[in-house]
Amino acid sequence: MSSQPERSANHLTLALPKGRILEDAISLLSRAGLPITMPEASRALRHEFPGVTVLELRNQDVPVYVDLGVADAGIVGKDVLIESGRAVYEPVDLRFAPCHLSLIREVGASGPIHRVGTKYPHVARQYLAEKGIPAEIVKLNGNIELATLTGLADAVIDLVQTGGTLRANNLQEVDVLFYSSARLIVNRAALKLRRERLRPLIARLRELVREES
Amino acid sequence: MLGVSSVPATISPSAPLLPDGTRDVLPDEWSQREYVRWSLSELFRAWGYQGVELPALEYASAAHPLDSRAFKLIDTGGQVLALRSEFTTALGRLVATRYPAGPFPLRLQYGGQLWLRAQTSELGRLREFTQVGAELIGVATVQSDIELLALARAALDRVGVKADLEVGFPGFVDAVLEDAGLSGAARDALHDAIDRKSGADIDLAATTYGLSSEVTGVLHRLTDLYGGNEVLDEAGRMAQGTRARAAVSHLRAVAQGGDLTLLFDLGVSRRYGYYTGMTFRAYVDGLNQPVLGGGRYQLANGLPGAGFAMGLERLVRALPPGLPPHPETVLALDLPALHAAQQAGLRAELAWTDNRLELKTYSALRGIRRWVQGRELTEVQA
Repeated sequence: MSSQPERSANHLTLALPKGRILEDAISLLSRAGLPITMPEASRALRHEFPGVTVLELRNQDVPVYVDLGVADAGIVGKDVLIESGRAVYEPVDLRFAPCHLSLIREVGASGPIHRVGTKYPHVARQYLAEKGIPAEIVKLNGNIELATLTGLADAVIDLVQTGGTLRANNLQEVDVLFYSSARLIVNRAALKLRRERLRPLIARLRELVREES
Repeated sequence: MLGVSSVPATISPSAPLLPDGTRDVLPDEWSQREYVRWSLSELFRAWGYQGVELPALEYASAAHPLDSRAFKLIDTGGQVLALRSEFTTALGRLVATRYPAGPFPLRLQYGGQLWLRAQTSELGRLREFTQVGAELIGVATVQSDIELLALARAALDRVGVKADLEVGFPGFVDAVLEDAGLSGAARDALHDAIDRKSGADIDLAATTYGLSSEVTGVLHRLTDLYGGNEVLDEAGRMAQGTRARAAVSHLRAVAQGGDLTLLFDLGVSRRYGYYTGMTFRAYVDGLNQPVLGGGRYQLANGLPGAGFAMGLERLVRALPPGLPPHPETVLALDLPALHAAQQAGLRAELAWTDNRLELKTYSALRGIRRWVQGRELTEVQA
C-alpha cells in the first residue's frame, strides 16, 4: 500500500514547510534533541535521519499530511492551520514567524465592501458572515494587495508581517482577524501511539520557547 | 520519460460515472469486507447482541446531530427525508418505539451504509461509507462500560487488527471548567481549545476572559492528561468538585475491573454535550487513524445507552495480509466434480463448454491451475 521503508515502532515522520520556516523549524527541533540538520540544497523532498524522516512540503499541505496520519507531527503557521480546518492537536506555540491576518483597504476607502480578495477563503467567509458583510469572496494565490489597487476587490484579507508592503502601496489595515505564529501540530492518534517520543519533544519545545522569549 | 504514455490523457467533458465520494467495491476488497462483517456479527452474537436493520431513509430533523451534513430528499407528501448519517439516533428511535418496556439491558448490533453530503475537509473523501456496531441499552454501570471495552477489544482481536484502546471522559473537562468558575462562552471556547490541546488558544482565552494564572495552569494540565493508568492519579489530584471526582473514580473502577490494557486521555472534550460518560476510540499503529469510536449517551426518552461503531473501510485497510484465507478455485468439468470439489473445501467453477482450448485460455486468465472431473475428484491436465 505504501512505498515507505520498514521503520522502527518509534520512528517519527515530520511534515515541515519548505522555504523560510524550514530553517527555523529544523534549528528549533535539533535544539530540542532531534538528530536532524538542514538538508543540503537538493531536489530531495524526503530526508532521512536516524529515527526521523522529514517531509518537505508546501505549507498548506502540512496540516493535510498530519491530519491524515502520513506525518506524525509538523510545523505550520496558525493562519494556514485555521484555513485548513483540520482537527489536529496543536500543543506548542513556537513563537517564530509572527504575523497577523487583517482586513485591508486602500487608505481612505469607506464605501461598502462588495468583493474581498484573499488566499484564505474559509477564514474570510467566516469572518464576513460574523460581521454581517454580504460580500463575494475571490480566491487569489499571490500579491493579494493588487486586488484592491486594481479594483478587482474592495478589500482584501491577507497576512501582514511588517506592514511595509501596505505602506508602499497606500493601503491600511481596517481590522485584525487574528494573530498567527508557527505551531507544532500533532496527529491525534500519533500523539498517543508515539507518546514516548512526542511527549518529551513537546516538553522540550515548550522549555526552549519559554527560554528564548 | 520512462513509463509515461506519450498520449495525453483526455479529460472527458461528460458527467463523471459516479457521484463524488462513492465508489465500486471489486471482488478482492468485497471478500475482505464480507469477512470483517461476518466475523464481527458472529462475535457480537456470541456476546448476546441481537441484530437489527434500520431504514436508510429517515425523516429529517434539526435535532439530529448530523442534520446539517446529511443528504436530503423530498418525499411525495412534501416531507423532507434524510439519508441515514449515523446509527445511534436511529437505534434510539427503534428502542423507544419497539422496546419501550425492555427488557433491559438490551443488546443490539447493526451494520450498513451511511451517507454524508458534506465531509469535513477532504474533497473526494467517501460520502458513502459503512459501519458496524453494537449498543448496550438501559443500563449505566461500571460493569456495562467494562463489557463494551472488552467487546471492542475482542472485535479488534477477531479481525487481527492491532490497536490501542483509549478512554476519555468529556464530562471531566466540563466539571473541571465548572469548578474553575467558568461558564457560557468562555467554557465553550475552552472546551474547544482543550480538545485540540492548544496551549496558545488556552492562553488567548485566558486573556480574553481574564482568567487567573492558577486557573490557566489547571487548563494547561488538562491538555497533558494522556497516557496509561498514571493519568488517573494525576486527574484524581486535579479533581475538586463532586462531578470531577465521580468521573475519576468511575474510570478507576473501569480500569481495575476490566483486566484490559487501556490508554486514557482526560483532555478529550469533543461533543461533551452529547456524551454523558466515558468515550473511547481505538488507534491502529501505522494508520494513525481511529478505526473504532463510541461512548455513553442518553437516548431521547431518557434511557442510558452506550456502544461503539467500527468503520469498515478503515478496518479493511488495517487488516493483516492473508486475511481472509482464500481456498483454491478449480475448474469442474462436470456437475458431480463441482459438488465433490466444494465438499473438499475448494471453490469450483463449472466448465461451460467442451472446447478444451477455450477452457485453457480462460484458466490461464483466471489463474486456475487444476481441473477436476467426476464424483471422485479426478485431477485432469489443465
